[in-house]
Amino acid sequence: MLNFNTPIIDSKEYSEIKFSKVEPIFKINLRGKNRDFITKIGKELSIITPVDPNTSSSNEKLNLLWLSPDEWFLYSNDKVDIKDANTLEDNLFNEISKVKLGSVTNVSDHWIMINLKGTKIFELLSAGCPFNFNNFKNSKGAVTQTLLNHIDVIIHNKNIYDLNLFVRRSFSSHLWSWMNDSVRFI
Amino acid sequence: MFLINCPYCGERDQSEFSAGGEAHIVRPKQPTELSDDQWAEYLFMRKNIKGVQFERWNHAHGCRKWFNMVRDTSNDKIHAVYKIGEKPPIN
Amino acid sequence: MSKDLRIINNRFIDQTTRISFKFDGKTLYGFKGDTLASALLANNIHLVGRSFKYHRPRGIMACGSEEPNAIVQVGNDASMTEPNTRATEIELYEGLEASSQNCWPSVNFDIGAINNFFSPLIPAAFYYKTFMWPSNFWKLYEYFIRKSAGLGKSPTEPDKDIYDHRYLHCDVLVVGGGISGIIAAKIAAKNNLNTLLIDDKNILGGTTLFQENECFKINNSYSNEWLKKEIETLKSLENLTIKTRTSLAAYHSYNYLLARENITDHLDINEKKDKIRQRLWKIRAKKVIIATGSMERPLIFNNNDRPGIMLSSSIKKYIDYYGVKCGQKISLFTNNDSAYETAISLDNSGVNVNSVVDIRDKTNSSIVKQAEKLGIKIHWKSTIVNTNGYKKINSIEIMKLSDDGAAVVGKKIKEQCDCLGISGGWTPRVHLFTQSGGKLNFRDEDNVFLPGKSELDQISIGSCNGDFELDEIIKNSVNSTNKFLKVNNNDYENLEIISSKEIHKKNIWLLPSDKPLGKTKPFLDFQNDSTANDVKLALREGYKSIEHVKRYTTTGMATDQGKLSNMHALGIIAETAGVKMGQLGTTTFRPPYTPLTFGTIVGRNVGEFFDITRKTPMHEWHIKNKAVFENVGQWKRAWYYPVDNENMHEAVQRESKAARDSAGILDASTLGKIDIQGSDASEFLNRVYTNAWSKLEIGKCRYGLMLNEDGMVYDDGVTTRLSENHYLMTTTTGGAANVLSKLEDYLQTEWPELDVYLTSVTDHYGTVSVCGPNSKKILSKVIPDLDLSDKEFPHMSFKNALIDNIKCRVMRISFTGEHSYEINIQSSYAKSVWEKCYEAGKEFNITPYGTETMHLLRAEKGFIIVGQDTDGTMTPVDLQMDWIISKKKYDFVGKRSLYRSDTIREDRKQLVGLLTDDPKEVLEEGAQIVTEKNKQPIEMLGHVTSSYFSPNLNKSIALAIVKNGKKMKGKKLFVPMENKTINVTITDTVFLDKENKRLNA
Repeated sequence: MLNFNTPIIDSKEYSEIKFSKVEPIFKINLRGKNRDFITKIGKELSIITPVDPNTSSSNEKLNLLWLSPDEWFLYSNDKVDIKDANTLEDNLFNEISKVKLGSVTNVSDHWIMINLKGTKIFELLSAGCPFNFNNFKNSKGAVTQTLLNHIDVIIHNKNIYDLNLFVRRSFSSHLWSWMNDSVRFI
Repeated sequence: MFLINCPYCGERDQSEFSAGGEAHIVRPKQPTELSDDQWAEYLFMRKNIKGVQFERWNHAHGCRKWFNMVRDTSNDKIHAVYKIGEKPPIN
Repeated sequence: MSKDLRIINNRFIDQTTRISFKFDGKTLYGFKGDTLASALLANNIHLVGRSFKYHRPRGIMACGSEEPNAIVQVGNDASMTEPNTRATEIELYEGLEASSQNCWPSVNFDIGAINNFFSPLIPAAFYYKTFMWPSNFWKLYEYFIRKSAGLGKSPTEPDKDIYDHRYLHCDVLVVGGGISGIIAAKIAAKNNLNTLLIDDKNILGGTTLFQENECFKINNSYSNEWLKKEIETLKSLENLTIKTRTSLAAYHSYNYLLARENITDHLDINEKKDKIRQRLWKIRAKKVIIATGSMERPLIFNNNDRPGIMLSSSIKKYIDYYGVKCGQKISLFTNNDSAYETAISLDNSGVNVNSVVDIRDKTNSSIVKQAEKLGIKIHWKSTIVNTNGYKKINSIEIMKLSDDGAAVVGKKIKEQCDCLGISGGWTPRVHLFTQSGGKLNFRDEDNVFLPGKSELDQISIGSCNGDFELDEIIKNSVNSTNKFLKVNNNDYENLEIISSKEIHKKNIWLLPSDKPLGKTKPFLDFQNDSTANDVKLALREGYKSIEHVKRYTTTGMATDQGKLSNMHALGIIAETAGVKMGQLGTTTFRPPYTPLTFGTIVGRNVGEFFDITRKTPMHEWHIKNKAVFENVGQWKRAWYYPVDNENMHEAVQRESKAARDSAGILDASTLGKIDIQGSDASEFLNRVYTNAWSKLEIGKCRYGLMLNEDGMVYDDGVTTRLSENHYLMTTTTGGAANVLSKLEDYLQTEWPELDVYLTSVTDHYGTVSVCGPNSKKILSKVIPDLDLSDKEFPHMSFKNALIDNIKCRVMRISFTGEHSYEINIQSSYAKSVWEKCYEAGKEFNITPYGTETMHLLRAEKGFIIVGQDTDGTMTPVDLQMDWIISKKKYDFVGKRSLYRSDTIREDRKQLVGLLTDDPKEVLEEGAQIVTEKNKQPIEMLGHVTSSYFSPNLNKSIALAIVKNGKKMKGKKLFVPMENKTINVTITDTVFLDKENKRLNA
């Protein structure tokens, strides 16, 4: 068997802040422009495709995040068996890409997901992120793509003081050590 | 640092954006039909105005969409932002 | 501590807690709450520095950020010492060590003071004029000038303190916690606006906090008592955040402001440990209310710079706030009413006020009447024509002013004093307003610049907006804030305010003396030591623009940015040049308002956080196997893997030979990878690459060259057709982000009709590249199910495969010219696959190689590296890659530019191979190439772009770009180096295996 390796292995707990990495979850990038595409992914995933900017929709298993008017990001809540993941990806690919409705791209390892919990998480983010979280904080399901310590991130407001942060894998260990450095000064 | 109202994502800090030069310069449909001078006009000639200028910007670290902006270069005031393909709301 | 100079006053400082500190090596004592300046004054120390040019003794003059003289060095640790700090802003803490700056060898005996006697010889721009010639003498001059000018010492070791940055978004930012700011913040926060109030002091309240005078009352209380209650009510406001010890450094467009919060500077040395020292707040405010107050102006008269001459309002603050007497016999000199407040405060505290010298004819405002009632002597219509005392003032000379104020008349009166308070009126602090791009208006009546038009959502209130009387300040602050915030707060209706009214105003920018101007020293800029005479000289020498006069005389160019001097400089220039001050304009106020340490600017972007680092999935393996890393953009790439103390050359030679002799393994994960889907994907590739793509079969790979619209090579890489409408494009490591953004640009703006979607998968895949004659054997062990026969899996094709049930893509492509495979697999498994290949290759001596060997191997084959062999001025034709330009395609990006008059020139610089006559001689990359050996000057034909010693050919090889190089094959040229000239011959760019036999070996 091949070994599974991840750049971040541990979880960190500080007063009022906890970082943990959830792996392996399933992540897919979806792109398409027309109404049929939007209807199709909604149907395939049993989820409403969010069309309002900076929003998301979720069901028990999946989260679908708006990234741009023609781009969405899908990720699973829990670890997914590799076989199930392949099936889901193939299904979507056949139903969307093959029939020229849009594109379906597996990005499970392109992004690393870090979960942030605690009442001080927004203070941590404000140490390196120019985004205004004042309204975001209180709107469950809100999504933003922005910069954290000069690194591209997607932030999903999963619940109150419970965020999922996505960072590209190659940047993840750097961002992780920056987060653990910054948390000392909150 | 500007505060730029991305036509798709809303107000964001300038650090999320990259500037892309003058707007409304359309790539010629038939470049081979053009003389050297005409091609050079498309390729190299850009305005650099003190005052109201039409510019292309990209929300590079957000939705990655290109859009247009009307900006006064003398005081950095952004008069309008609008999507690619839309007519400028100001002349 | 001199007991005589302290009065009992425990309201703002804690006189029960004694603090010891060191100044110029001497141990002194102060109280908790003192500033270094107030503690020094309490110790009867006025002399704290020497002036910049003449080295005249200078004393503490002010009590805040405008202080020009008391500039000290704090700390003497090589990493923590900080120059150019203002003693008036340093809060005293146990263990503080500070020393005078700008005096050598010591503040009491200063060698440079001799300049004072030569001062007629040191006019404006003396340094510029004198030390410029002979030019080679500058080095000699510089040593002495620097040493005696001494603008403090820089730390010599890295700063041990920690600094950080924080973003903050608020509805309303109020800058300044004086009476106006407090009113504004309360109105804002009470109306549900998320409000931030900052003040640079350790306590809110501004000067009203210690204004306890019968002439200033609100609802029958002293103004300070009323304000104290207001401050109390702020604490209960939920929407309000208050930050003290926080000074606004810069105000940029779109209400983006930078503020520096001092967190530990006031703490005892042992309390500072492990804490952030200063934090830079990056504030984005919807609305900004500037309430920064005003600064008292000095008066410009002969010898106005002696220690003991201070701003009148500062003397008031030292007595009323710190309980420190600045002298025992104090005289005051003024052109306005505010000095009388000082006189009354001093009198109330039992300090002897000699007299007030007032340039006005007579005035009878209530505050003046009150002073007269106390028996304070007033010299009306008088001026000070001279002061005496070398290291401290000891007397003043007073004369009557003529009716026009231009001369002095009558008898000279000498008055003994040990301190002189001066007041030239008030200057609104409009610095932040102008930093934000606002335009100023001039008010003639009291000679002040006031905020005018602004593009931003902001207002100025209080005395920074020109309201100087208590009742006006309150009334206008309330009204302006209500209007600005579009709210209707009525907390301040029906206030009964008593405020002394200033009735008479008079201003003389440069006060006359009984001596001719040339014989006097009326200082304008105390820190940079320029006098009114210097400004007049500049005007005589023909300077007219205020910006030029400033630079020529250096007025306003010191670390205080001329906070005290600018207005008088402008006034004197306007007067001398005969123009109106309003027309003259001001010099530009640039951020920061007060100096920032580099640590604060940099924040945590130091050490490992200085730049971002990206790591591949195999990074840990490289570390374990002792790789030396190279930075490629932000990536950390394995450069070479030294074995047994090998140096770089030895390691690279071994790796290169092993890759061709048997097998090598390379981490190629950093290459950019873009997933392309859509029914127009082939058409899209046709448009962005120079070659044709429509006919590429599914399962095949093709090398593509991408140009800019100007025809110059932009990027290259191999793209694979995965299925009908599905491609995987690879880009160079450094070009990945730019290529994706450029392709998106074309899709979004030029060709929105194309049905194509791009998604970056760079980080999703790890890429293991196995090359060499034994690569096939190794791969067959790793993926036994895959048919690797040349027929089934030829060069430039791809297969889907499974390794232990994990999907992967295997490409048979080669950047080395060897038979080779690239396995792309989900990053999480890439390290494991790498290890598997390495294990499988052990029997073939598989050798991990880094980027240096990769570069060498491809150079043997003459493959270009975009960015090394090209520099944005090379067309494919220049690179002798004409074969990759499709003749059939009607258009592609950059096509039209390939036959512009300039790009079809035959004598462009072109890529060629170079061989040295001596095969052992390796050329330096970047070395220039010429046609003749001993001619000078000589045209540079081009330069070496890649150069290596090839272990496989056992000779030195190089690539170069040479003017007209294509036609020069076989020609002998020269590469001149510092100590020798190297003979070279132009060759073909392919040095090894011209027939490409090895690809299928």
